[in-house]
Amino acid sequence: MWLILLKLAWRNIFRNKRRTLIAATAIGIGLTALIFMDAFMIGMEETMVRTVTGSFLGDAQIHRAGFRDEQEAALTIQALDEVTTNLAEEAIVQHWTQRVLVLGMITSPANVSAINLVGVHPPTEKYLSLIDDAVTEGVYFEGDNSRDIVVGGKLAEILEIGIGDRVVVTVAQAKTGELSQEMFRVSGIYQFADEGMNSGMAFVRIQKAQEMLAIGNNVHEIAIKFTDIAYSQDLTMPFWDTYSQQGNEALSWTELMSQLTAIFEMTQYSKYIVGVILFGVVVFGIINTLFMSLYERMFEFGVLRAVGTRPFGMARVILFEAGALAVVSIGVGVILGFCVTALLAHIGIDYTGIEFVGVTMQEFIRPVMKVEQFTIYPIWLFVFTIIAGLYPARYVTKMSPVDAMRRSF
Amino acid sequence: MEQIEKRDVIVTEGVTKVYAADGIPVNALNGIDLTIESGEFTAIVGPSGSGKTTFLNIISGLDSPTEGKVWLAGKVLSEMGGNELSDFRRDNIGFIFQAYNLIPVLTVEENVEYIMLLAGVPKAERHERVITMLETVGLKGVANRTPTQLSGGQQQRVAIARAMVSEPTIILADEPTANLDSKTGADLLEMMRRLNSETGMTFIFSTHDPMVMESAERLITLRDGQIDSDEVK
Repeated sequence: MWLILLKLAWRNIFRNKRRTLIAATAIGIGLTALIFMDAFMIGMEETMVRTVTGSFLGDAQIHRAGFRDEQEAALTIQALDEVTTNLAEEAIVQHWTQRVLVLGMITSPANVSAINLVGVHPPTEKYLSLIDDAVTEGVYFEGDNSRDIVVGGKLAEILEIGIGDRVVVTVAQAKTGELSQEMFRVSGIYQFADEGMNSGMAFVRIQKAQEMLAIGNNVHEIAIKFTDIAYSQDLTMPFWDTYSQQGNEALSWTELMSQLTAIFEMTQYSKYIVGVILFGVVVFGIINTLFMSLYERMFEFGVLRAVGTRPFGMARVILFEAGALAVVSIGVGVILGFCVTALLAHIGIDYTGIEFVGVTMQEFIRPVMKVEQFTIYPIWLFVFTIIAGLYPARYVTKMSPVDAMRRSF
Repeated sequence: MEQIEKRDVIVTEGVTKVYAADGIPVNALNGIDLTIESGEFTAIVGPSGSGKTTFLNIISGLDSPTEGKVWLAGKVLSEMGGNELSDFRRDNIGFIFQAYNLIPVLTVEENVEYIMLLAGVPKAERHERVITMLETVGLKGVANRTPTQLSGGQQQRVAIARAMVSEPTIILADEPTANLDSKTGADLLEMMRRLNSETGMTFIFSTHDPMVMESAERLITLRDGQIDSDEVK
């Protein structure tokens, strides 16, 4: 019995091929939009995370508790040797680097500007940040000249300096607060997409920064890169507790850039909202198609009822037709969705230079396809279509065979 | 109500149907009392608007009377629920429509076996009965064609096969010859007459066709919703 009703539904769907094709394409485009939007969101998130973590932040960081809020030079990481020894043995840690961070002032013969002075260890820093790749003039800490300084292009413009020019950096020492001044020579100028990094940061060797602050071998920050970025999103790992002891705190990028995480959560909601709107449009399209088909064949439905098909049997015919329409639409949507997404993933969408929640895109956004997009959304569409079919199905069960046939005898 | 005889296939008692046309009540049927026995070959005739259609709708359970009762094969139709009535129609009534009304997306075999599918008849038996029935109505070799690949006369033969294949108690035929040329109509009528005498199935026609009227054993004439004459030949 089911088989004949299925046959009836499937063949009925193709009775008016043009209408079915138009309806299936419209529904399929809705599915395509959903698949693409999801892939784009994932691509955008991954690009932003890569930008944020790859540029300078790292996947995780260790600080002395309170340092991030107070930026106090004296708040260096506790038990540094123990921390670094342990980090060297962590299987999930691929690279790590130490930094000294301090607010200071940079002076050139032409101008003066406030900066974040960053003391870096160049051999390990290159694995955690893209500064070395962004140097457009001069070099990034070659040789062992302790008076090299690398500045952003915008800062160089403000200070009216170029490669080889001298600048003076002034900072307050950690314990005494005494001013400490050092002369540096500009060895490199970088151009970053992020204007904040271009205009407000300067990099020197870590030993020099430690010397200026009089903090010995201590550091303010350890930036970490995991073997897999997914570790940074697993806040249940023992890693976080292990390195959040003795007054230190180990934080993932999701906590360090909590506004970004919040935005990602918001985009998830907006995805659901758009999904509901799209499926809403699709549902009405399906109801319309089913009703058009039903009205066209009203007499046939009357005949089916007259010869003994039960009301639920009639409803099944409509639901099977809705299902058949969904299958065709899913076919259209999945193929179209795959083609569009694959094409744009290959070409990439140029968002470079555009800033979003404080993150400046530095690479093309490439939509990321996931199996779920081609399974979950089609299942949703199928379920929505069946739900949409309930209304015309109910209508059929209530239909009087005499009214349906209009003139039966 | 008098005792219903075993041979009485259809019994109507005071069947009245009132329609509301633009809020004005219109009496389509006015207290029809009628008994049709098993094996009859009966034609219901009358001018347009006389109530033929309404009467056939009511005795087939497709519509319900405003007043009165209908017994079909000993059961009161108005006492049955939706599913029970559907099953009852499936098992007891075969319909032949003026415009054939075959399901165009199903093959001839699927059209004919549809009612048996509803009744849960096993596949092998269905197939055998369909083939036999198609041979009986002179349609050997067309089982896999679709209705659109057949002539009007052939389609009506399929409709007859569909109506008879489940061996119902009665066959209700709505102007079965109206869309056919006279020769095809005569052939079909002869075939139905033959099937009636061979199987003992009851045939009730609604018709304007003099050929059908001539062929019928009993002629019931309706006028203004009432039985004007009831003539047994």
